[in-house]
Amino acid sequence: MSKVVFSTWRGELIDNRNKPQEEWVESSFSFPLEYNKDKPSRAFIGWDGVAIFDENIDAVKLATEYAATYQKYSEACGRCAPGRWGGRILFDLLDKIARGEGNFEDIEHLQEVSRTMMETSKCEIGRTVPKPILDLMEHYKEQFDACILEQKKSHEYESNTSYIAKVTAPCMDMCPAHVDIPSYIEGVRDLEFGASLQATRQTMPLAHTCGRVCPHPCEDACRRANLDEPIAIMELKRLGADYETDHNLAWFHPKEPKPPRNDGKKVAIVGGGPAGLTAAYYLGLEGIEVHIFEELPVLGGEVAVGVPQYRMPIEKYNKDIELVTSLPTVHVHTNTRVDANMLREFEKEYDAILLAFGTRLSKKIRAKNEREEIKGYWGAIAMLDRVNLWHKYKIGEPASKELKDKVVVCVGGGFTSMDVVRCAVREGAKKVIMLYRRDEKTIIRNTSWEEYHEAVEEGVEFIFYSAVEEIITDENDQLKKLKVNRFELVPDPNGGRPQLVKIEGADFEIECDFLIPAVSQSADLSILPEEWNIELTSWNTILTNGRDYMSSKPGVFAAGDCEYGPMTIVNAVGQAKRAASVISRYIYDGKVSLTDEEIMEDHLKKLGVYNKNEKIKGWMPGIPREVSEKLSVSERITNNKEVNLGLTGEQAIAEAERCMRCYYIAMVAV
Amino acid sequence: MSAVKETKKTITITIDGKEIQAEYGKSILQIARENGIYIPTMCYLTKVEPIASCRMCVVEVEGVDGFVLSCQEKAVDGAKITTNSQALFRERQNIMKLYDVNHPLECGVCDKSGECDLQNKTLEFEVDEQDFTAKEMHRPVQNWGFISYDPSLCILCEKCVRVCNEIVGSEQLQISVGGYKSTIVNTKPDNDCVSCGECMAVCPVGALVSSDFKYSSNAWELEKIPSACAMCSAGCQLYYEVKHTSIDNPEPKIYRVTNEFEFSNLCGAGRFGFDFENKTAFKDSRKLEEAIKAFKKADTIAFSSYISNEEALLLSKIAKKVGAKLVCSDSYGLSRFLKAYSSVSGKMLWDGTLEDIATSDVIISFGGKIAQDAPMVKNHIAMASKRNKARVIYMHPIEDYTIQNLVTRFIKYEAGSEEGVLAMLLEFLTRDKELDSKIKAFIDELDIGYLSAESSVSEEEIESLKLDFWKRKRFSLIIGSDIFNHERVENIAKIIALIEKYTNFKLIVIPPASNSLGVSLICDLEKEKEGFVVGVNAPGDFTLSSLGDGDFDLPAFNQIEGTITTINKQVVPLNVALPYDGYILNDIAKELGVGSDLTIDLTKELPKEKGFESIEFDELSPNAFSVHGEDLRGYKLRNVTVEVNFELEEVADLESFDGTIVYCVNPSQNPNPFTNKSHLLQSKATLIGSKQFATAAKINDGDRVEFEMDGKKVTRVFRIDTSLKGTIALNPIFDMGLSAFWVSSYRFKKVNINKVGSGDE
Repeated sequence: MSKVVFSTWRGELIDNRNKPQEEWVESSFSFPLEYNKDKPSRAFIGWDGVAIFDENIDAVKLATEYAATYQKYSEACGRCAPGRWGGRILFDLLDKIARGEGNFEDIEHLQEVSRTMMETSKCEIGRTVPKPILDLMEHYKEQFDACILEQKKSHEYESNTSYIAKVTAPCMDMCPAHVDIPSYIEGVRDLEFGASLQATRQTMPLAHTCGRVCPHPCEDACRRANLDEPIAIMELKRLGADYETDHNLAWFHPKEPKPPRNDGKKVAIVGGGPAGLTAAYYLGLEGIEVHIFEELPVLGGEVAVGVPQYRMPIEKYNKDIELVTSLPTVHVHTNTRVDANMLREFEKEYDAILLAFGTRLSKKIRAKNEREEIKGYWGAIAMLDRVNLWHKYKIGEPASKELKDKVVVCVGGGFTSMDVVRCAVREGAKKVIMLYRRDEKTIIRNTSWEEYHEAVEEGVEFIFYSAVEEIITDENDQLKKLKVNRFELVPDPNGGRPQLVKIEGADFEIECDFLIPAVSQSADLSILPEEWNIELTSWNTILTNGRDYMSSKPGVFAAGDCEYGPMTIVNAVGQAKRAASVISRYIYDGKVSLTDEEIMEDHLKKLGVYNKNEKIKGWMPGIPREVSEKLSVSERITNNKEVNLGLTGEQAIAEAERCMRCYYIAMVAV
Repeated sequence: MSAVKETKKTITITIDGKEIQAEYGKSILQIARENGIYIPTMCYLTKVEPIASCRMCVVEVEGVDGFVLSCQEKAVDGAKITTNSQALFRERQNIMKLYDVNHPLECGVCDKSGECDLQNKTLEFEVDEQDFTAKEMHRPVQNWGFISYDPSLCILCEKCVRVCNEIVGSEQLQISVGGYKSTIVNTKPDNDCVSCGECMAVCPVGALVSSDFKYSSNAWELEKIPSACAMCSAGCQLYYEVKHTSIDNPEPKIYRVTNEFEFSNLCGAGRFGFDFENKTAFKDSRKLEEAIKAFKKADTIAFSSYISNEEALLLSKIAKKVGAKLVCSDSYGLSRFLKAYSSVSGKMLWDGTLEDIATSDVIISFGGKIAQDAPMVKNHIAMASKRNKARVIYMHPIEDYTIQNLVTRFIKYEAGSEEGVLAMLLEFLTRDKELDSKIKAFIDELDIGYLSAESSVSEEEIESLKLDFWKRKRFSLIIGSDIFNHERVENIAKIIALIEKYTNFKLIVIPPASNSLGVSLICDLEKEKEGFVVGVNAPGDFTLSSLGDGDFDLPAFNQIEGTITTINKQVVPLNVALPYDGYILNDIAKELGVGSDLTIDLTKELPKEKGFESIEFDELSPNAFSVHGEDLRGYKLRNVTVEVNFELEEVADLESFDGTIVYCVNPSQNPNPFTNKSHLLQSKATLIGSKQFATAAKINDGDRVEFEMDGKKVTRVFRIDTSLKGTIALNPIFDMGLSAFWVSSYRFKKVNINKVGSGDE
């Protein structure tokens, strides 16, 4: 709810002008009434209308600036006739009126050009820019008329109001890393794969990785779903990365990396996983010296030692990693476990520290007799470390030594547990069972349909609505069997969330050799110096404000799973990218600040960009999403070959052509 | 997911009330065009993926809000489409109004006037006044080699960018997006452009024009003579555009070359190397007498492949009549190859075509410097790379980094080791195949370790092809011209035929020169010259030359009627663009009693047993493309069945190629002495080598060097190219006149390089 003077946002029409305060109607949207701390905003204008917060707003100037912004931002587009010339004319005509030189014919021309842009522009930016301008011309007609009749400048034509704009899209907004998705898809459509990759890497250095194992929240905010099915956004990301790798081309950086600054400033990054790598990349691109400290012998974090080879081939991930380490100011220290003493040293030696050490402690399942010493009790993280270090790096020993011909029970329901069971299959386990408290639908929602489906195909037995009550061992403390409770979902009579209720008398036992808890992981906070008194969240992760990622201790930042709790790669990337940006300024001015782009990013997130009820115009419905080929069960079950072959060239082009380029411009007058 | 209708292979749609059956996957525009229904476009180019920048092609679909983009949107079953209505007309008119904003009113002097899409559509959509304007910007004209770019005339349809990327694969042109400031940029204006002029050909307005042609003629004054480019074996369609030279000179002149750019391509040699005609000739009966005398006493008729099928047949007849041998050094290797190939494959020719390359997802290019030797083959590789993410394995002694964006794996082998490398490939590709015992014995006897060591191709490299082939479906094997003059060409041909036979690779063989394939099929060639030699576009004791520098003049390819045989095994017609005033080969043949009324009377006599058809020249299909883009020119050779009868020889020991080696290769836009006669392409050849080569040969950049090639001394200025590696230098031969056709040995040559001076001397 927002208190506004006027709004046409998303079909609402609120006009509180000339009404006493008590009769004001509130808008149902969360507009950025306050732009930044102590900085009120005067109006918000965007793809879906306009909202005015200040009664003295200059509507003519606002419209002109919005059109100007479209001009300025048209590097995001500017590739169709109506958008390119139409946008220019829109601005020229509006500015003519605003500076007191317009006439009523100009108004007519504006309306006509707007119509053409709205009907035929290539992307939504061109189709939507005229909308709020037409709204202003209609509802603030008197201001336009005054400029024309009196041939005078609009009242704030020369004022020092700032107009801050940002280009977004529903998918970009939903993506935690705010990847410029329409741009990289356009690169595929144009068969300009290098350009596609550059677009991705503006905010996402791990293109191979997030072209394979991202849970793609963006696809839930894809406007194409309003028409038929969402675009295969994630898989299209692979094209650019594969192009660079397959042809062994020079790195496609989003911009020319700046030369090393050599100014004595340096940043320590604790943890070489997705978050650490991302921060290193964006700091490195700026020429800032960074040092990554990684406990394991290899870089990559959980994606390297957690995500199995068949889902994320290490050769590909290594390319993403090499991209980062190829930067001259990025230094890597593997086999280096950071502890409290080292952190104390870092505090003296470095200008900023980024904690990005993830969550590598497996949580317990809270069963009776649950102890780490039990033979056959194997934490998911340790088990996956063992599998992956062996298969990908030939470090250690194969897990098949333990798992071959054994019965393995995994308790979980998230991605990690899927990795556990599917790896166990490949290590030759006789039988693999997944125990999950809730139902099939939830497991699919928590992971993905593909992941679940593929695990079933590979022979994993899923037992839903069940949980281990007790672990039963023999005299040698060897795991023998599990006592399992059954649950059912009981609807809440008050209409709340259904509750899981134990079914009495339905307990059963499973004989097994291994129990692998994979319910969740937690951060190893023991490395933090006590005297730093770093504030924690209620679920024991490092507390930040979720905007600038600085912890309660100045100069110490946190990003990724150790900040958020076990979450996705793309979430870690998004946080680390933001943290790197804040750090790049902090090490020089000691201040924690966000760019206008970042402030707007957060405002839009709050307002929400995707509208699932919007009716789509101008696109042919019923064109199905392209589906990539997967290895058949027999082709994949005994090996670690990548299961998803990715879209073929033809499929990728067809899929890219389905993208509606839903770019929007939002602007705030401050 | 319920919103998605099940996709069927065949769909039924209605366009403007007409019910149409079509294949699912095609765009609305494609289906409309196939059915003769007009939808206006400004940016649509049939040969590339839809660009979708102009928005003119919007249509209405029943039940769908707003206008739908017909070039990109697939038709779905049951769609009811309207291509024209008042509302659509108004929108298209508005788009044209926008295109016309500030477009300079200089049609009077614009080269494009009369064939300009902007002009046509402005008239079609009745834009006769300008309602809006925008502030004009300074947009200076740029010169890109042979091409001039005027950004103020550019409508940013992006066709040029598309062809440069998707067809040519050089990724030279890009759109610099910036709204009103958007422009096309040439990212490498000074180097690396292959100067093919594709961008210019597809430009719908006057933004990209030939600097040479600029301001020289109105489009409508030029007569279009349809013909084929005979500068290499691709035989691309082209039009010679002809008009009188000037007000006081009525002699016709070729002003430029254009082509059916909507469907087909042309490289720089064809587009810019058009004025190679022989102007000096006149009917000199004394010279005719001399020529007849020369032929009568000839022991050998030596000729080059720059000859039509009919002339080749004529030479055969003359040779038979006067009892001379026929020697054609640039086709002899191919003829040996074909005989050996046929003995294994049981057919006269390979099955693959350029189009097969473009639709492949795995391509092996073997034994040729494709980007220079065969620009059209390279273009089709580019299409496969861009559209199908094709794995492109480039096997050659010289890694060509200029096409790294197309190649996914370089496999470098030692010069001379082709036979061994192909044998390794055959062994690898037929491992799980049921083989004839003879072939199995051959493979079993291969000493892979030895072959690998001598060729420098590791077994791992060959094994790694497994990754490239994994889950791929359409395979092409391209054989370049290095092998034709290899001593072991016969056994090489047999190995290639076996690969074709036992794998799903489509084979494409690149004939080494213009009409090598025609010559190989029509003439019985011998290797060595002897006695008195009459040279026909080749050096001889008596020389007939289309370059105008021999003892007797012959017309050039733009002055004759006849046919040539292309890489696609297609017999395509050439037409007369410019008159020729002298005597021709047929005049000599007539005097010798083997001529016909006209040279083209022989078109129907081309040997049917080799797959030619008995069709009169004038009855060959129209020299054009259909409106749907089918190449209608001439006809395709029948692939004749041949008796299978062969012996495989053991792979010969590999001769070592140490020290300084030169490789004969011409630049793509200047492939032979004829293009080098044209005023735009004429240039001086230099020997280009790596730093290592310079060190090995003890020479420096700019030195004048001398070396011997096939018994002839060659002098060249040497230049270092840092992108090259190894001790192989590139030696062009386009500037050697007809003696270029003496070069008949294997393309890699061990030479001694002697410094004879510095470049300025």
